[in-house]
Amino acid sequence: MFLGLGLVLAACDDDSERGAGATGGAHGFSVYRHAMDGAPSSLDPAQASNIYANFLAVNLYDTLYRYKYLARPYQLEPNLADGMPQVSADGLIHTIRIKPGVHFVDDAAFPEGKGRAVRAEDFVYSIKRHFDPVARAQGAWLWQGRIVGLDTWKANGANYDEDVPGLRALDERTIQIQLISPFPQLTHTLAQGFAAVVPREAVDHYGAEFAVRPVGSGPYRLSSFDSARAVLIRNEKFRKEPFDLEAEGFDPASQSGLGLERLADRAPPFSDRIEVEFIAEDAARWNALIAGEVDFAKVPVSQFDSVLETRDPPTLKPHLAQRFNLAANLESGFVRTDFNMDDRRVGYHPDPDQDARNRALRCAIVKAFDWDRRNEIFYYGIGRVFPGIIPPVAPEFDPEQDDSPVRRDLDGALALLSAFGWNAGNLPVLEYGYTSSVTERQMFEQFRSFMADIGYPQDKIRSLTFATYGDYARAYLNREVMLATTAWTMDYPDAENTMQLFFGPNASPGSNTANYNNEEFNRLYRASATMQPSPLRTAMFRNMNRLVIDDCATISGISRTLILLWRREVAVLPDRSFVGGFFFRFADAGDVGATGSEAR
Amino acid sequence: MSYTLRKALQGLLLILGVTFISFLLMVWFGPDQTYTLIGKNATPAQIQEVRQTLGYDRHFLARYADYLVELLTLDLGASTSSGEPVSGMLARTVPVTLALMLPGFVLGNLLGVTLGMAAARRRGQWSDRLISGLSVTGMSISFLIIIIAFQVLLCTPYGLDLFPVRGWQVTDLPSYLRYVAVPSFALIFVTLGYNTRFYRAVFVEESARDHIRTAHAFGASPAVVMWKHVLKNSMVPIITRIMFSIPLVIISGSLLIESYFGIPGVGKITFEAITNGDQPVLKAVVGLTAAAFVLIQLAADLLYRAVDPRVA
Repeated sequence: MFLGLGLVLAACDDDSERGAGATGGAHGFSVYRHAMDGAPSSLDPAQASNIYANFLAVNLYDTLYRYKYLARPYQLEPNLADGMPQVSADGLIHTIRIKPGVHFVDDAAFPEGKGRAVRAEDFVYSIKRHFDPVARAQGAWLWQGRIVGLDTWKANGANYDEDVPGLRALDERTIQIQLISPFPQLTHTLAQGFAAVVPREAVDHYGAEFAVRPVGSGPYRLSSFDSARAVLIRNEKFRKEPFDLEAEGFDPASQSGLGLERLADRAPPFSDRIEVEFIAEDAARWNALIAGEVDFAKVPVSQFDSVLETRDPPTLKPHLAQRFNLAANLESGFVRTDFNMDDRRVGYHPDPDQDARNRALRCAIVKAFDWDRRNEIFYYGIGRVFPGIIPPVAPEFDPEQDDSPVRRDLDGALALLSAFGWNAGNLPVLEYGYTSSVTERQMFEQFRSFMADIGYPQDKIRSLTFATYGDYARAYLNREVMLATTAWTMDYPDAENTMQLFFGPNASPGSNTANYNNEEFNRLYRASATMQPSPLRTAMFRNMNRLVIDDCATISGISRTLILLWRREVAVLPDRSFVGGFFFRFADAGDVGATGSEAR
Repeated sequence: MSYTLRKALQGLLLILGVTFISFLLMVWFGPDQTYTLIGKNATPAQIQEVRQTLGYDRHFLARYADYLVELLTLDLGASTSSGEPVSGMLARTVPVTLALMLPGFVLGNLLGVTLGMAAARRRGQWSDRLISGLSVTGMSISFLIIIIAFQVLLCTPYGLDLFPVRGWQVTDLPSYLRYVAVPSFALIFVTLGYNTRFYRAVFVEESARDHIRTAHAFGASPAVVMWKHVLKNSMVPIITRIMFSIPLVIISGSLLIESYFGIPGVGKITFEAITNGDQPVLKAVVGLTAAAFVLIQLAADLLYRAVDPRVA
């Protein structure tokens, strides 16, 4: 009996700060409960490499910039910064002022436990951490080779007391970044969780444990965090900035009816408490939404059939529409299957004749791939198939482009094989890699059935399975996978982010997992890399897209449609892409959340 | 004394063996965390840096020696995923898992013993067949299906909607009972078949022994025979089953339950450590589980002697 009681007490949830934020607004205590289909392992912005970590990082910490909550296409907006950067005429020097009076949350890391003011020096420190091997940071690629002296600082031992000429705090509130060459996407990188501002005292105080002891200046502070959930509570010190519906890009035509009008002139964060439930299991996530235990969930594809009344446009079944709002968001990325161009059996070959035959083989495979069936079977037919590597969400996407590269053409495929002397006897063995799971296996089998239609022997298409994603990543980054299927989520709304996936010098272990290396593509990439968005740059990107399609370096692609549901009582417009976790501060659960899980 | 020393030495060898083999498997066949920790567009030099910080570049034996020292000193290091001290993670999650699993485990075994006894007593009759049939049915259904079915039936508006679908906001006894109820029902349902069949077989075997026939001949009532003679003499296999289930129940048995019910226990962090290649967490769980096995083995030996004087 005593043992049992002791266990219950020991196992009690230590989340005792429920009332901490209750004094905020005129409204009652409100709780927004968000279901996430994965969990972050670290809350350190330097390790915010996935969507789950980024969601929390941008709420616990401040970034200089963010994306406007409601504007589509996405637009940058100052966050901790006092305005957009002042950029020198040559585009090399960016000067940014941070807002006055912003403070870190109170924490034992500070003298007397009182959070101090955020300074420009904190931003400098936070970016330096990405270049310090000890921090095991994951965002260095954003600024590597871009900022004067930063790579040298790392090479010299990453001593934080040494200055970086191109990354300086001119005074308490002024940051100056000096670039090696123009970097038009710089401001976008400053809106990512990676660029969030952390105080050095806290990193020193907590050491490695800083990853689970966040000390930031964001709209929320951490109440509790474990493998099942994170609880954030309102940061009472967060700056009071009235919400301007129009400035955030409100579109009455498409966004009225979401209750967003009630947010006008109030100061975010609108909910006192955010409960983020990490529910990877589709069935459990769906049950939690239906039972009213969470306010928001991404609907699993397996449920689309029972949730959607129509597909185009996606609408909810009437009984669900009474309870939930729906957003059918195209993902900010795409899924593709790359050929390993470094593999002489299917990729580049020093013999020009064989090189041409390999290209013909790749193109035949691309033509035999049935995107419509892939979409129908695995994405409920509501994904968006497009040719090449500029996904529909990118501003540079061409809606008028020829879609024949993603239309199945069996005759064309057979003609190519025949013209270049390929037959069942001399076709190479294809090794198709994937992480072990039922869905991935089904995708592999479907691929094999597509290839059977052009006479590819079944025993010559083999699976290469990996127990974990880490093992799979190791294999394809070491160029050991002939056909690698991956999903890319764009880091910012600029097609440069997908172009770099096929830039020769970025070959594995870089992001160019196809190991594609086309001189013309590389030349255009280099030329466009320093250009601001413009019709000329868009034309260059589209040319580069055409080169990748013509070389048949990848079977691409599809952007999946995400079905997001949330309770109608909650005034919010959720987004999993660039706005990401920034929308938490604008989620107003009213008082309904207070009667949520606690009251059951 | 010599018995205890002999057992302790055996236990030590067992721990060394288990830790060595598991460490070997972790290092040579486990996930390489390097590739989940590197950023995009990493250079070979950056990959090497991450390998260094993870200690992958060090000799296997040196790493194994460190592991043993960590176990001896109980200084288990920090998770390479979150940076959190492993001892803190275990201190936070093990009580949750114990509190989660204990009711189902205890009730599952008590019910198993009771039903096994009832079936054994009426061996070959309809009630025995019914219990055995239901046991096989229970054993045939996937744990996952049971969990989802219980969630839908007991926790959603599609069913009775009596309990929370998931979570562990336990602050007092009533909230504990609310959150532990459905996982316990699921656990009992899935283990009852196995337990009942096992205990039935034990009781049937014991019932066929001469001393039971003698007890019947002396006129002892069926209840007395069953409780006083059959049950008492079956305690050795019962203790063995219960004691050796404990570490497995804590570590592996709770994984699905913790995942589907959103409970932050040790099963979930262990599973995540396996998939992520978080070696400090894995090393601690494996090492401490081996130690728990040894302690339980010692405790079981002592209990054998308590219930059966013939055990030397």
